[in-house]
Amino acid sequence: MISRLARLAREERAALLALLGAALLAFPLGFRENNYLLRIAINIFLYAILATSLNLINGYSGQFNIGQAGFYCVGAYTAAILATRHGVGIWLALPLCGLAASAASLLLGIPTARLKGIFLAMSTLGFSEIIRLIVLNGGEFTRGPMGIPGIPPASLWGWELRTNFHMYYLALALAALTVLVSANVLDSRIGRAWIAIREDELAARAMGIPTVRYKIYNLAFSTFWAGVAGCYYAFLSNFISADSFHLDEGFVILGMVLVGGLGSLAGPLIGAAILVVIPEIFRFLAEYRLILYGVAILITMHLRPQGICGGGVMDIGDAGGVRDGEDPPDSGAEPAAGGEGA
Amino acid sequence: MAETEKPMSETFAYYAQLTVDGLAQGAIYALMAIGFAVIMGSLDLVTFTYGEVVMLGALAGGYYGVAVLGLGIWLSLLLGFAAAWLAGMLIDAICYRRWPGGPPEVWLITTIGISTVLKSGAQVLFSTEQEFVPDVMDGMWEMGDLRVLHIQVLIVGVLLFLSGALWLFLGRTRLGLQLRAVSMDKTAAALLGVRVQRVMTIGNAIGCALGGVAGALLGVYYNSVFAIMGGVAGIKAFAAAVFGGLTSIPGAALGGLLLGVLENLGVDLFSSGWRDIIGFGVMIIILLIKPSGLLGRKGAERI
Repeated sequence: MISRLARLAREERAALLALLGAALLAFPLGFRENNYLLRIAINIFLYAILATSLNLINGYSGQFNIGQAGFYCVGAYTAAILATRHGVGIWLALPLCGLAASAASLLLGIPTARLKGIFLAMSTLGFSEIIRLIVLNGGEFTRGPMGIPGIPPASLWGWELRTNFHMYYLALALAALTVLVSANVLDSRIGRAWIAIREDELAARAMGIPTVRYKIYNLAFSTFWAGVAGCYYAFLSNFISADSFHLDEGFVILGMVLVGGLGSLAGPLIGAAILVVIPEIFRFLAEYRLILYGVAILITMHLRPQGICGGGVMDIGDAGGVRDGEDPPDSGAEPAAGGEGA
Repeated sequence: MAETEKPMSETFAYYAQLTVDGLAQGAIYALMAIGFAVIMGSLDLVTFTYGEVVMLGALAGGYYGVAVLGLGIWLSLLLGFAAAWLAGMLIDAICYRRWPGGPPEVWLITTIGISTVLKSGAQVLFSTEQEFVPDVMDGMWEMGDLRVLHIQVLIVGVLLFLSGALWLFLGRTRLGLQLRAVSMDKTAAALLGVRVQRVMTIGNAIGCALGGVAGALLGVYYNSVFAIMGGVAGIKAFAAAVFGGLTSIPGAALGGLLLGVLENLGVDLFSSGWRDIIGFGVMIIILLIKPSGLLGRKGAERI
């Protein structure tokens, strides 16, 4: 069933994408006043950017980052400080915030480029928490626990983008940009080097790929988009505080990538959509939102470890069960959907 | 506070006091790190949910044991031990058993999943606020300017007792021998008739239980428990274990004590808001300059 759908999706890709794009463009026209629906859609796009950015690391270069919330935080605070104190508008702020997050990523990436597995994971987690604590203890500069209020709305040619209706299109455009640029980079020499590192780092190095440098590029490129997302978030909500960038936020993003599928472009988008929408459907479960994410990760790992449209990164059918040989998960039953790159 | 002019002896006493407090705190870290080293270093089980296990121990022992049921310190610690043991069995059933010897990334992901469930579950079912834990003992000894609280002595005593018990268990019992065999080579152990799966289940439970006791001690020492304490606790345990070399149990103990002292001295240098930054910073620095830790034997090959 899923494999047939996947085949259909592959064959009719262009038509499907055009249809989807048209639907997304037309969607708010019917719900112009429905702020609730627009907000959900905006959240999906925002998390789609974040999940896509994380997927560039966890899915394509095979490293394990769980601290993406820290770079999201850097982007948001850069935007807030630039906008409230230096009068920088959103269009200049977006790339600047991305660059700020990338610059911060070098502080993590250069020293930890040789770490793997849980060592890398814990370092990214610690780094994310360090960023949040620095913001919280930053005194006048970040206003500590009080956060930064009064971020002016985004504007375009003197035209203020105040409503959710306008912000919807901005989010859609940013999400599309993220995916398009990522797809192109993944299809380039650099992207292939990342995938080679994921498949076998030693072999990649033997083929002449400077793996350490490429892993640093990978982190910087990924966190650029997290910074962009942070900037968008700051302009969307007019107020930011360190509370929004707890480790949980990083786990939410990770959950979206895992549920959607590591190593495919569609995966994080689907994961973001599912994990934003499910808590909205089950409103009475609002308190249990994070539990839901945890359960979603566990169910995914038990039932479909490669995620809904994973690119075979979590192909544990071969690696698992070697020792005891019992209960081998069915593998190879369906071709990996999504594929690499565009 | 430390910046004001003081006579030499008073300054010395001040730092001695900081060190004593740091050692007590470090003893709790050491206990957490030992449990963590048993799970991660010895059993090669990658765990991300250890902090939540510590939190469960703190809720069960520190809050329900001391504050709600008024069980007294020993029974409360036992309660923390038992609760964390059960949590360890649950984690084993959900996160590990399905993928024996599977790639560590899978365990990392499943334990991240269950960690989210446990933490948010505790927030919903228990409380999102800090809950108060009354003092179990409030005496102190004074030696000149130096104060040593009875509770601090108790913490160090519990650390010594449990590490002694662990040492006896690993060295003198059949199960301990099997556990060490599994830690060296799972395939060879299996060929010699060790039930690897079962030994790993029990080893994981033991490591978790030690963390549970440490959690209960944290609750008692700081007079508070809260549902989100696990995140920081987990990183502290990891930092201390990495400090000591991850595979080495004495190393983990040493790492915990050092981390406690370093943190306390660092807080004096900066401010209390920076306490956790110091812990994380130490961890990242150790991973950078000496990834095999102080007493580690095979840490390097993981990097």
